[in-house]
Amino acid sequence: MDILVYGTINSVSLALYALGFALVYGTSRLPNFAHGALFVLAGFITWFFLNSLGLPYPVAIVLAMLVTAVIGALIYQFILVRVRGMEISEIIASYALGLAILEGLRWGGFKGMSYTLPVFIEGSFAVAGISVDYQRLLVVLIGAAVVGMLWLFTHFTRIGLALRGMAQDERAAMMLGIDSDRMAVVAMGFGSGLAALAAVLLLPLGNIVVESGYNILILAIAVCIVGGLGSWMGAVLAAFLIGFAQILTVVYLGSHYQMVVALLAIILTLILKPSGLFGRQKELEERV
Amino acid sequence: MLEAEGLMVFYENMLALNNVAIRCAENQVVGVFGANSAGKSTLMYTLSGIMEDIRRKAQMAGGERITVMGRITYRGQDITNFKPSRRARLGIVLCPERRRIFKESSVLENLRIGAYLASAAQARETIEYVFDIFPALKKLKKRIGGFLSGGEQQMLAIGRALMAQPKILLLDEPLLGLSPLMQAELVRATRQIRDEMHISIIVTEQYARPVMPIVDYAFILENGAAVMDGRREELMDNPDVRSAYFGVQE
Repeated sequence: MDILVYGTINSVSLALYALGFALVYGTSRLPNFAHGALFVLAGFITWFFLNSLGLPYPVAIVLAMLVTAVIGALIYQFILVRVRGMEISEIIASYALGLAILEGLRWGGFKGMSYTLPVFIEGSFAVAGISVDYQRLLVVLIGAAVVGMLWLFTHFTRIGLALRGMAQDERAAMMLGIDSDRMAVVAMGFGSGLAALAAVLLLPLGNIVVESGYNILILAIAVCIVGGLGSWMGAVLAAFLIGFAQILTVVYLGSHYQMVVALLAIILTLILKPSGLFGRQKELEERV
Repeated sequence: MLEAEGLMVFYENMLALNNVAIRCAENQVVGVFGANSAGKSTLMYTLSGIMEDIRRKAQMAGGERITVMGRITYRGQDITNFKPSRRARLGIVLCPERRRIFKESSVLENLRIGAYLASAAQARETIEYVFDIFPALKKLKKRIGGFLSGGEQQMLAIGRALMAQPKILLLDEPLLGLSPLMQAELVRATRQIRDEMHISIIVTEQYARPVMPIVDYAFILENGAAVMDGRREELMDNPDVRSAYFGVQE
């Protein structure tokens, strides 16, 4: 039973890590390797607003999400747009940016275990005899809400539909009047905002540490590769697969194998089904 | 309405378009005929602005060096340097070669993505209109684009282009690889679009016969150059044109 409860929480956390990355890659085929850095940065921005400026917690959270979204959009507008369409350069440029952000934070003195964010609501309750604190409950609820809203956004709004069109055939979308550069800025903004949302939800469960930026990037990539790059519904399902696999290894093997599971998932997927669980359409094309 | 003069396009040193001048008047159907690699698609990409994107991406990647020269005017406005999305907003919409529909989206969703530039009311109206001229699509509303037949995909591609509220529609080889029956159906729909929506149309084809009945004026491209142009009757009377593009032996 505790496997079910903790597995769900872990899976939703993974989905939250990965959604921003999946959204950006899915719409503009841009592998944003600065994703983990933006996550950590959002944590420190929230911390700064809260502790240095003394803003109320909800205001700090919303502001931090906005600021991170703007930073993401600026990164695209001024840097990544120059290497657009060259995948290796996109990876190198965004990873370098991520490194610069993370190591810049470390250099700026944001290191050690002393930085934490408070939980939203104190306390805990019991599910089937297992005690779960409210923050983790919020993670699951908000995570589910985000997935639902993303689905609505991409199926029923003009910008969401334009992003889906761009994801499938960028030039065909241009012919219909969709400005692909502007849409990529929007996608980066949204993706970074989602990274920030994940940060403010999940960081109160631990410390804000620079090193976690790297882990989160790897987890996000693992989830996206297993789910099929570019398919964010696939990413959500893959998050559950990896999430439960991680909890099972923790229970039966030991907690230090957690990261191995994610990396093993990448390798297995690439060997067995390179297009990922939901790369169905692409597979269809390969066959034709 | 749309006018281009002195269009030259080079891929590295290969001349793809050689000093091409082409024009399309309001409410006219203009045909552009030529063999493979005569420059039809290059012309369409240049008119719609996609060539500019291809050039920029190739330049960034350090690939092929593409040079575009010439002047394109639309309703008296010089649009030579406009981005494709801006040209689409002005009403120049390309329905590309090989259709390029969104293969993972349903028919209805393809149309709704196409409605990016349309208001909600326009989108509703145009969807009705598309189903009206292509009744076959209405039955396939929920079908995923990738599972449509070639003819259905072409109908969808034209319908999707109509959703962008074009004033001039560029159809690049719409009949490619389709059965004569399907070709006739698409030609009928094209005529209907011009007559009812008052949309000007530039259509390219390798083989002129199926579309000739609806064409008012035509250009013939050979090796990137417009070697001949004229009204339908004039071209039909020319024996060279008849044998090369109509398959009539004399």
